[in-house]
Amino acid sequence: MRFDSALGSAEGLLKGEYGAPRRFIASLLIQEDPEITDLVRRQEPGNLAEIEKIIRELKNHSEGPVEYQQAIRRRGQAARIAAGAVLPNRVDENFGHRFDFILMNPLSGGLVLALILYFGIYQFVGVLGAGVAVDFLEDTVFGKILNPRMVGFFAKTVPWAPLRDLFTGEYGVLTLGLRYAVSLILPIVTFFFLVFSVIEDTGYLPRLAMLLDRIFKRIGLSGRAVIPMVLGFGCATMATLVTRTLPTRRERLIATLLLSLAVPCSAQLGVILAILAGRPKAMMVWAGVVGFVFLAVGSLAARILPGQKPSFYMELPPLRLPQLGNVLIKTYSRVRWYFLEVLPLFLLVSVLIWAGQLTGLFDRVIGALRAPVAWIGLPSEAAKVFLFGFFRRDYGAAGLYDLEKAGALDGRQLVVACVALTLFLPCVAQFLINIKERGWKTGIAISLFILCFAFGTAVLVNAGLTGLGVSL
Amino acid sequence: MRCCHNGDGKKEGPGSPRVVITGWPNVGKSVLFNQLTGRYVTVSNYPGTTVEVSRGHALIEDRAFEVIDTPGLYTLLPVSEEERVARRILLYEKPSLVVHVAEARNFEKMLPLTIQLIESSLPTLLVLNMMDEAQKAGVRLDLGHLEKNLGVPVVGTVGTKGRGVGFLKKRIAENAL
Repeated sequence: MRFDSALGSAEGLLKGEYGAPRRFIASLLIQEDPEITDLVRRQEPGNLAEIEKIIRELKNHSEGPVEYQQAIRRRGQAARIAAGAVLPNRVDENFGHRFDFILMNPLSGGLVLALILYFGIYQFVGVLGAGVAVDFLEDTVFGKILNPRMVGFFAKTVPWAPLRDLFTGEYGVLTLGLRYAVSLILPIVTFFFLVFSVIEDTGYLPRLAMLLDRIFKRIGLSGRAVIPMVLGFGCATMATLVTRTLPTRRERLIATLLLSLAVPCSAQLGVILAILAGRPKAMMVWAGVVGFVFLAVGSLAARILPGQKPSFYMELPPLRLPQLGNVLIKTYSRVRWYFLEVLPLFLLVSVLIWAGQLTGLFDRVIGALRAPVAWIGLPSEAAKVFLFGFFRRDYGAAGLYDLEKAGALDGRQLVVACVALTLFLPCVAQFLINIKERGWKTGIAISLFILCFAFGTAVLVNAGLTGLGVSL
Repeated sequence: MRCCHNGDGKKEGPGSPRVVITGWPNVGKSVLFNQLTGRYVTVSNYPGTTVEVSRGHALIEDRAFEVIDTPGLYTLLPVSEEERVARRILLYEKPSLVVHVAEARNFEKMLPLTIQLIESSLPTLLVLNMMDEAQKAGVRLDLGHLEKNLGVPVVGTVGTKGRGVGFLKKRIAENAL
């Protein structure tokens, strides 16, 4: 075989010491691996020139890239060996193939995706999780049972009012921090990760990656980035860590930017779905704006950032019914990760706000935020929400949820506030992870860009909606 | 027969012989790694990257081995940073034995990597893990046939239940250079 003889001659020409078997080096060299080519060039440039002659000759005699041909040869060899080693009871393969086609064909695949989004995300996470479960925890568990008791207990035992406020005041550690974490965030995140784990365990995600590959190519990514992006709807911080699986720096950068900017995390998404649930038009405007930003910023970044377009090929694991044990363990470990990150931060923010109120700093910051908040057409109470949102988007969204319940905002204001909060940097943790993964220059640049961009978009959306006189 | 290779003046390197565990993501590499190494494990970033690599020690038939758990690797021609790290370990850390872990049920898809390892002259042992899942799916495997056709040892395991790990250790000790 031509490849084998080329490999043999290349191996014979190599004289350097590489620590690895020369055959290993030679085979990577012939398949034109850049890292190995550099390595050999440094050790023995003369011999490399000889070997490159062999490679050129090999290429002249073969159709298509050597790397690809060898992959096909190995696959054929594997199939032959496997065929002899397997004594199978035939599973119905046709069924699986037909199903794959339905899932990955743009038309039917898009329909399936829409159904999953509607039932899995909107109905299950939004209506059931962020609606029913949150209402129960908010109104019954905290509203009727826990809060009155905690307030009563502290009223009796703590004589000093500021200390009482620290625990059970308007922004108390227990009545606000703990309540947000347990009654809003926990159920929503649990419902989301339950859906995500079920979907993940069926093997649907690689098919989704194939389906969305073409759209993702437009924004400088490939289907490979679909999994971190979908995970980003659970927690963008977690997803930014997962961008490590992307092959190039360029893709990792674009993915990080989009995750920070336009992918709302589950807690925030759930709260927003709950806030906008009664206003379908408002929800469509919000989804439209965020979706547009995602695609527009992505394709702009793809055009501006230098680098090659990604290529993508993914192995499809077989589809299967999700296994309860797997789903529960995955959900548990993710919810745990998320909750343990959220809870201390929520408590800390409560303490900070309390300290800020004692010193009067809180009111001054709120006062300073009033002007920009007014530019995007929101009442001054919303300044609070954005201050919360600075620490965590979902914390801000939770504050917005309280405002909406109090009936303080109309449809347009809700849309603008939701858009702004979705686009803002998710949380302090995300900021830190961006810096850790992408370096401090890029991390800070991303944050500044997002701050200006989110605010600018909110101004535009508000102006647009007001100018067109749309009521939502 | 298994003792007399050190006599010809070839000294053991600075450390114990290295066993490198490699294979696709999610085939149970880390579970087998933990089964082999037990408690004393260090996890650190591979130099210059954010990819984590676990290293531990195993005592098999009174021989000490260093065991390395690599990030997922689909092929020896890598695309992601994780794959590049895995390959660098194979290239530069002089493995005495490469343990390629594959999923028994889908081993055909993963076999090209085994072939690649063998063709690269790396001392290779193939582990078909999750044999129970294969059985459940109605796939029965003839490991002897595989061994004969690949020309390397093949061991079946169920890592999560520790099944076959004793035999795997024995074959590691027999086959590590």
